[in-house]
Amino acid sequence: MIRNYLKTAWRNLVQNKTTSFISMAGLAVGICSFLLLATYLTNELRYDRFNTNAGRISRLTFSYKSADDKEVNTTALTPTAPVPVFKQQLADIEDGVRVVNYSNMRAAVVQFGDKLFKEKKMLVADASFFKIFTFKFLSGNPATALANSTSIVLTASTAEKYFGDEDAMGKILKVDQKNSMIVTGVIEDVPEYSQIKFDMMGSYAMMPRSLNLAWSSSNDYSYILLKPGANREAVAKQMTDYINKDRPASGGKMWFGLEPLTRVHLYSTAGKGLEPSGNIKYVYILGFVAIVLLVLACVNFLNLVTARSAERAKEIGVRKVMGAMRGQLFVQFIAEAGIITLFSLIAGVLLLSALLPVFSNFTGQQLSLQTWNPEWLILALVTLFVVVTLLAGTYPSLYLSAFKPIVTLKGGSSMQAGGNMLRKSLVVFQFVVSVFFIISTIIAGNQLRYIQSLNTGINRDQVLVLDLGGMGYNQIESFKGEIGQQTGVLGSTASYDSPVNVGGGYSINTAEGKNADFNLSVTAIPVEKSFTKTLGIKLIAGNDLDLGDEQQVMDTSADKRRYSFILNEAAVKGMGWKPEQAIGKKIGLNGRMGTIKAVAKDFNFASLHEEITPIVMFPEYDWFGKLLVKTSGKNTANTIAAIASKWHKFYPNSPFEYHFLDQEFDAMYKTDQRTGGILTAFTVVTILISCLGLFGLAVFSTRQRIKEIGIRKVLGAGVASIAGLISFDFIKLVLIAIVISSPLAWFAMNKWLQDFAFRVSIQWWVFVLAGGMAALIAFLTVGYQSIKAALSNPVKSLRSE
Amino acid sequence: MLSLQHISKYYQVGGNKNFVVNDISLDVDEGEFVSIMGPSGSGKSTLLNIIGMLDEPNDGYHYFVNQPVHQLKEKQRAALYKQYIGFVFQAYHLIDELTVYENIETPLIYQDVKGSERKAMVADMLDRFQIVGKKDLFPAQLSGGQQQLVGIARALIAKPKLLLADEPTGNLNSKQGEEIMELFRKLNKEDGVTIIQVTHSEKNAEYGSRIINLLDGRVESSRKF
Ligand SMILES: Nc1ncnc2c1ncn2[C@@H]1O[C@H](COP(=O)(O)OP(=O)(O)OP(=O)(O)O)[C@@H](O)[C@H]1O
Ligand SMILES: [Mg+2]
Repeated sequence: MIRNYLKTAWRNLVQNKTTSFISMAGLAVGICSFLLLATYLTNELRYDRFNTNAGRISRLTFSYKSADDKEVNTTALTPTAPVPVFKQQLADIEDGVRVVNYSNMRAAVVQFGDKLFKEKKMLVADASFFKIFTFKFLSGNPATALANSTSIVLTASTAEKYFGDEDAMGKILKVDQKNSMIVTGVIEDVPEYSQIKFDMMGSYAMMPRSLNLAWSSSNDYSYILLKPGANREAVAKQMTDYINKDRPASGGKMWFGLEPLTRVHLYSTAGKGLEPSGNIKYVYILGFVAIVLLVLACVNFLNLVTARSAERAKEIGVRKVMGAMRGQLFVQFIAEAGIITLFSLIAGVLLLSALLPVFSNFTGQQLSLQTWNPEWLILALVTLFVVVTLLAGTYPSLYLSAFKPIVTLKGGSSMQAGGNMLRKSLVVFQFVVSVFFIISTIIAGNQLRYIQSLNTGINRDQVLVLDLGGMGYNQIESFKGEIGQQTGVLGSTASYDSPVNVGGGYSINTAEGKNADFNLSVTAIPVEKSFTKTLGIKLIAGNDLDLGDEQQVMDTSADKRRYSFILNEAAVKGMGWKPEQAIGKKIGLNGRMGTIKAVAKDFNFASLHEEITPIVMFPEYDWFGKLLVKTSGKNTANTIAAIASKWHKFYPNSPFEYHFLDQEFDAMYKTDQRTGGILTAFTVVTILISCLGLFGLAVFSTRQRIKEIGIRKVLGAGVASIAGLISFDFIKLVLIAIVISSPLAWFAMNKWLQDFAFRVSIQWWVFVLAGGMAALIAFLTVGYQSIKAALSNPVKSLRSE
Repeated sequence: MLSLQHISKYYQVGGNKNFVVNDISLDVDEGEFVSIMGPSGSGKSTLLNIIGMLDEPNDGYHYFVNQPVHQLKEKQRAALYKQYIGFVFQAYHLIDELTVYENIETPLIYQDVKGSERKAMVADMLDRFQIVGKKDLFPAQLSGGQQQLVGIARALIAKPKLLLADEPTGNLNSKQGEEIMELFRKLNKEDGVTIIQVTHSEKNAEYGSRIINLLDGRVESSRKF
């Protein structure tokens, strides 16, 4: 029996090559897309789960609200004290570790013999790190690897970079020319799906601040390993109680929180972590896209099968008369669906393995079939097979097996194949989805372009960022002088960090005319006097910093030292002042006393997902991390080469590295852009699948109407009128789809845009453009068939009837 | 074997009922060989389809081997059909995707006959109708007459107790037609198969033991020999 089914199924496939191919191609593309997205999502969802203790590890967050803050500030950065103190005080905590970049401001310069590299991914952590997290040691002992302040653990590829094939253990690396570090372990490269990524890991003990336990000054990331069975929330509460125990009630409030390790990557709202995090919303969106693509491909299949029902009606009738029960026929058609699904699945998986490397590149993630656990992959494929077979096969099977034999045998099949309405609805459905995707990608594209090109109040075009790494100001000053001579350099300014990385943790705690307990949390950045000028930040009141301000803060006597502050509009508003009122007011920023000299127009120093928050810029010349060089943008390569050669003269022991400020801004929208890119790619796939379906239906419909077309031609209809007649039938469906889809897309995208503090408004032309695109694509798809039909020889089509 | 009582079948055309079978009552005993005749459009095929349970009448009672067909569910009807009836269609109705061999084999498959047994039975049929050489061809590769033979072979393979044939010789030459009629007579006499055939040929009709003439959906005359 089964053999008989398979035989008929196979012959059916072969006989209807075009439509079989369309069904399979559509399904294969759908399945491949589904698996691509599933691989991507698997990768997102498996983040950090490779840690054996993943379920018990939490990241510590720290929240505070100063008296005059409107909102609670939450950060993942913590002071030095919590980990060692809580580990001792709280019974439910098994272990804890502080992890932090060796230097936030710049890369470490690491030397071995004549090999000198800048290492961007050097972290330091407490000795417990490798006991809490699971990284595979190729040599060395995880328990003791970070025991000394001179210990350093390398990843396999870093070890190879310095030592080639030689054994790395015990070798000595010079870090920043001052620290000699002994390699105490080599681990496998850190997987992409770890939130803690590093090429080398030093000991936290090498940080000067490791010596004192402080409850202020948050600089580290802390991870806590709870005892099995311990309640995360209860522990967080104990921590919060502990820290608030001896605090006066009047001041601000503080909280500790524990984020489960496995939720940090996708769910954390605690701001900047060790790496930019993902976004659970995008996981949902892409998951939805994956399912929609699969459904679309199934719909295609379903549509083509029911379209062919007219042709199969007779076979069904005969089989029924021969004694086939409905159930048996149902099984037969399901078997046919199964065969097509199987072929498509195979093609889809082949396509998947071919496309995964491309997709990895595209998404910037390491994706391969290895992303999957093998059992899971097999389970997924089997499930996919069953689901697709049922999804695509059930309806047609039910539909076909229910045919009444007498009606089909009397040739009344066309009457019964009244699935016409259904088929049209399905085509409309496909195009609703396609148009939805087109609109969404256009709007998402607009928004992403918008936030990247938005005048952020900072002129960041052609601004080079150089790593200064805390060089003395005099040296910086003369280096600036040298490159200032260079053609192409318009100006340069040193600052604590790049304007994208303005740090929190400051507060204005004394202010003229405010109560003694006034306290407003702000972000702040120590800058040079030329900062606003170089970056084109506009001042709306007061005057820019000048030499006098510079001299005032450089005063060696702390008593006489006076600061001049520049506040942005948001900060002034937070103080409850008008810009003009603020000028000349005396304030204190964490003990730095001075006056407000200027008010800057709001500019974006953080992601445009967020509203602009208060910021204070103040001159302070003791530590500069970055040099921002404004170039003319002409002959940039020459300019950079010239700066590089000056750099080597000034700092022979430090490699020259630079990037553009623009890149830093772009990096803030990496997740958005990545998702946008994926969305665009799959919009194309959606359209492709829908067009395959439409094409298939056009093939059928023209085949069915071949006699009508023949007669019309004999009666004198022209090619254009016939092609138009057929095309219009389909275009009509697409038009209906556009009408249905537009409000849905509008609604969804409006929602998505809410995520951005700065957003485009949705323009009507987007809908026109999307609709026009869909209609044009549909027309091209159907047009070919229509014209072919219109050109066919009428005598031939009539005779074959 | 079967009994039709006041069976009517009509189509609604405009506001009118257009009777195709009009109040026909008919009893057929086991072992009979009935020929149905009548002009084109007189309702012969419709009547045969009703007898074969392929079509449902609008009115009347229908008993088959003492079972009230008008009360049975589709499933039960199909089971009854499978057990008793073989049908030869006016328009052959072979399955285009299957070869001659497979077409003939199909009813056996649905009756769960074992593979080896099927082989023997199909071989026997191919032999009987002298179409062994055509067994691997598809219907589209056969002439109309050959297709008709395959259709008959297919109807007979499951050894039905009641054979319903709608112009079984319509596309055959007179010699072939005669052979088929001889075969029917032999089945009827020796194996006791009840046969109801529709035919336009007076000569073929006379192979039967009873001839029923239809006109406009009514029995115009009925002769028994
Ligand atoms: N679906 C239908 N709607 C309306 N009338 C129908 C339908 N099907 C059949 N008829 C009518 O029923 C009548 C009987 O048809 P039937 O096929 O039984 O004739 P017949 O006697 O077998 O003719 P022939 O000798 O040409 O095969 C015809 O007049 C036909 O027009
Ligand atoms: Mg007829």
